[in-house]
Amino acid sequence: MYRRSFKDTKSSLGSPNPNFSKPMVALRFLRALSLVRCSGPGARSPSYRARGIRRAAYACMAASAGPRRAWSRALLRKIRRRPGRGLRRPRAVIRRRRPVGGGDPLEVALRRLVPGGGCMEYCRLLEEAADYVKCLAMQVRLMQTIVDSASHVNSID
Amino acid sequence: MEPPRSSGVGIDNSGEYSPEIAETLRFEEEIQSLIHPSSFDGSAAPTGGGSFTALLGLPANQAVELLHDSGAREPLASRIRVGGHPVHRPFHLPLDCSSAFPSNATLVDRAARFSVFAAEGSPASSSGRLKAEPQDSDSPPLDPIPTGPAKRKDTGRSKCDVRLSLSFKSQAKATAKKSKNAEENTDGDKLPYVHVRARRGQATDNHSLAERARREKINVRMKLLQELVPGCSKITGTALVLDEIINHVQTLQRQVEFLSMRLAAVNPRIDFSSLDSYLSAECGPVTVRNGPGGVVVDPSLWPTDATAEATRRLLVPQFWHIDLVPPQLQPQQSLTTWERDGAAHSQLLPNPTTSLFLYDPANSGNANVPHLTAKLKTAEDRALNL
Repeated sequence: MYRRSFKDTKSSLGSPNPNFSKPMVALRFLRALSLVRCSGPGARSPSYRARGIRRAAYACMAASAGPRRAWSRALLRKIRRRPGRGLRRPRAVIRRRRPVGGGDPLEVALRRLVPGGGCMEYCRLLEEAADYVKCLAMQVRLMQTIVDSASHVNSID
Repeated sequence: MEPPRSSGVGIDNSGEYSPEIAETLRFEEEIQSLIHPSSFDGSAAPTGGGSFTALLGLPANQAVELLHDSGAREPLASRIRVGGHPVHRPFHLPLDCSSAFPSNATLVDRAARFSVFAAEGSPASSSGRLKAEPQDSDSPPLDPIPTGPAKRKDTGRSKCDVRLSLSFKSQAKATAKKSKNAEENTDGDKLPYVHVRARRGQATDNHSLAERARREKINVRMKLLQELVPGCSKITGTALVLDEIINHVQTLQRQVEFLSMRLAAVNPRIDFSSLDSYLSAECGPVTVRNGPGGVVVDPSLWPTDATAEATRRLLVPQFWHIDLVPPQLQPQQSLTTWERDGAAHSQLLPNPTTSLFLYDPANSGNANVPHLTAKLKTAEDRALNL
């Protein structure tokens, strides 16, 4: 079920300049949400569902950010790694180019926060962090509006 | 990546620029020889702290006037006025002055005086002019001087010369290699990179140029980040800004977590399958039209921030095809219904976050909360019973 939702979001990666259109992220997210809850409302505990929703949120955020961003690729890789653990592809991705000197604790903390931040140079890290913050803020606003509209349905009277 | 690339471009193009550099040097030397040193000082003093271009504009203006006035500068004027073969003529000059080119003490002196004001000059205007400069060196250099653009070209050429002399002054070595360096600097400014300007007393070595370019890049990105993160523009100092950014990212991630938990609580009551079908029905013809662009939404259907209204529109018919419960419901009844089907939600009750305040009847100090929860509960009851 989760795999289906992530494949759904990943397959539509062809969008060129995606994340500046909030409706597209919203659409993807709602689709992912519906797929997450497909398994049956009462079957799983809400904490399990919460984790699934969180993964769906990150997945659709990364998918709509575009494959050109290093953090979106790393995020999707991190999300999809759990299902397909056993099979390592022979074409190894060249990771860990120029590993960190690691002197500045702030820099190290930032690298840990931003997905895929372990391999980048400093100025690249700052660039990715800026984009990541922008997408995160949009995602948070989107989820907030969904939750608000869902919980204030009775405000129509 | 980028500085070596610019240097490569510089080295490639230096071959076609060096005769023009020499030509401009010769030209500038002649102009400066025409300008009386006392008048030069007189013009320099009032514009002491002014912009670089203004400073250079004055001597150029004076040069123009001097050229116009005196007849002794006829050969130069004739050389200037002739626009027939602009490229060929000055090529004779560098052959003469190539020996004089590196060791022109007067030139270096005057350029030193330029450099004093160059350091205080505004980098913005100078970088703006730097873009104009390579175009000037590309265009035929001997346009008639009295026109306005010609004056600007003059300043451009003199600026090139001053930059060269800056590099001379700082390195105390006069070789063609240094001219290539400075020219590489200007070539780097042509390309869409961060503009680096060699200031007074700073080495124009390849390595330091690259380092300076890298530092400028980092500063630009930090400024971007500062704008994104709210409340960061007032903070000065890189460490505090970074701290704030990290804080902000952590906050956002925690917010995503809490909102996902909240959504997990809300979700079982909302039938999203019909939502999905509605969305696909709306966007099906749109995706067909937009080709392989994935899931693309018709912009007229989704104005900015219309998600709230859209979801409300969708959620309402599923929820409220039953009548609304009158608000004067007993809170105890709501509590019992909550506990009856709240076995799944019991994990959420002790959640201390305020975002789950709505779903926690134990915390219902507010008068609104039992009201809302009561409504939700009864609606859910009816939906489940139906």
